[in-house]
Amino acid sequence: MRADRDERARVRGAQRGSVSDLEALFRTHWPRAFRAAYLVTHDAGAAEDIAQESFLAAIRALDRFDRRRPFGPWLHRIVVNRAIDWTRARKLRSEVELIDSMPATEVTAAGGETFTALARLSPEHRAVIVMRYLLEFTPGEIADALDLPRGTVNSRLRRGLDALGDEL
Amino acid sequence: MKRELESIEILGESDARVRTWGVLEAAFAERQPVERPSRRLRIAIAVAVVAAAVAAVLSPPGQAVLDEIREVVGVERAQPALFSLPAQGRLLVASDAGVWVVQQDGSKRLLGPYREASWSPFGRFVVAARENELAALELDGDVRWTLSRPGVRFPRWAGTETDTRIAYVDRAGLRVVAGDGTDDRLLAPAGDVLIAWRPGTPFVLGQLWASELRQQNVNTTRVVARASAGAAFNQLHFSWSSDGRTALVVHPWELRLVDPARDTIRRVSLRSADVRAAAFSPNGEHIAVLRERELVLVDTQKPRARQLRLFAGAGPLEGLAWSPDGDWLLVGWPTADQWVFVRADGKRIRAVSNVSEQLRSRSFPRIEGWCCAP
Repeated sequence: MRADRDERARVRGAQRGSVSDLEALFRTHWPRAFRAAYLVTHDAGAAEDIAQESFLAAIRALDRFDRRRPFGPWLHRIVVNRAIDWTRARKLRSEVELIDSMPATEVTAAGGETFTALARLSPEHRAVIVMRYLLEFTPGEIADALDLPRGTVNSRLRRGLDALGDEL
Repeated sequence: MKRELESIEILGESDARVRTWGVLEAAFAERQPVERPSRRLRIAIAVAVVAAAVAAVLSPPGQAVLDEIREVVGVERAQPALFSLPAQGRLLVASDAGVWVVQQDGSKRLLGPYREASWSPFGRFVVAARENELAALELDGDVRWTLSRPGVRFPRWAGTETDTRIAYVDRAGLRVVAGDGTDDRLLAPAGDVLIAWRPGTPFVLGQLWASELRQQNVNTTRVVARASAGAAFNQLHFSWSSDGRTALVVHPWELRLVDPARDTIRRVSLRSADVRAAAFSPNGEHIAVLRERELVLVDTQKPRARQLRLFAGAGPLEGLAWSPDGDWLLVGWPTADQWVFVRADGKRIRAVSNVSEQLRSRSFPRIEGWCCAP
């Protein structure tokens, strides 16, 4: 409750132009935003761009933001949708031929088995796993955020967890 | 599961956080906070505005005003036809009819049914592409030579007075051919690449492969330098400053100025993700940035300084070219069917209407380049 009040105060402060309040919001929400984008895209550069662009979108929409709504879920919803879009777009581009000539990514992950197992899932399945277990959305909230029927969310969660269980 | 997802270590995350905070801080500094009235006052204002709007729209004079607003799209007092360009040089334009050369006196010549084109280094020839053909053309439309290749696109010509090369992309990959149409070779297999010849270094082709900016001498095929261009998401365009020292990579929300010698990137953050195009001025001191509804100028020495707005229009803008002397910019305004010429100091605007009709096109003609004072 106290955290919610603090966050509303920070949003209000940022709306009035307070850099320190914006920085507090950024510090609170950057780690999960970046991590969620990374776990969906599996591309650190894209994750940085997606998280950055989502925060920029938040700044642009700050004056219209309804302070009664929690800031984090709103931001994370943007992040995950952009990450899914990016992953779908990349699938359309043939990058297979480039793999040999690509430079080392600017950011790399050392995630072990979970990361590897997650990589084997489709981006849509990764997204619901990340939203449910990292961002702590309820299945109903995931359905709303991704514009999916709730049954689809539940089945993706189930199938995703089963696949992860098999891999791990 | 939550613990496992949170325990995945992402090396370099803190650098990404620092970079992002820098971008956000700059964007936030440019934002003008809005004073929000109290809730009760907001409701009262909303009710009053809705009532006034309904009354205005329902009344005959109100309807007339709305109609007038809808119709006023485009620069007023635009010329009905292109009588002349405001600066020296010639335009290269692609319309549904094909590729056109527009001379300084406004005369136009259709070179042929090509899809895209670009100028030779000194503007004496044009290289044009259609589905399965690359062609070198004289300015009167005479064909010097052609090369049949599948899915030709993105031809770019560079070189010296005596020796030139044309880079282009086909289904097999990135290719290069000599200016006389001989010695056609594959440089790299097919992939998502943006290309631009590096000025000042003959035959060095800049290639943006995702996040890597690669420079390759096309004669020796040796890659002479590699640099990072940052994360590759949504790259729109890639070009060089005229001195060849800085590469400009355009994203919808920012410009990246890549110095390949130092392998550094300067980011110019823009307030919203609506950038359509950007181009260095011929002297490299400014970058013109075309956003969805405005044209702004960024000082390359002070990229964080306030951007000078040169022009704003009520509809989506597209197409951007500097005049060869750097005094004028040309921007397309499809909904108004106008070309808008804007002086780079923002002090004069000239517009031309009926652009599509003049270039026999159903869609709005695409500006391919403004080249080379005689």
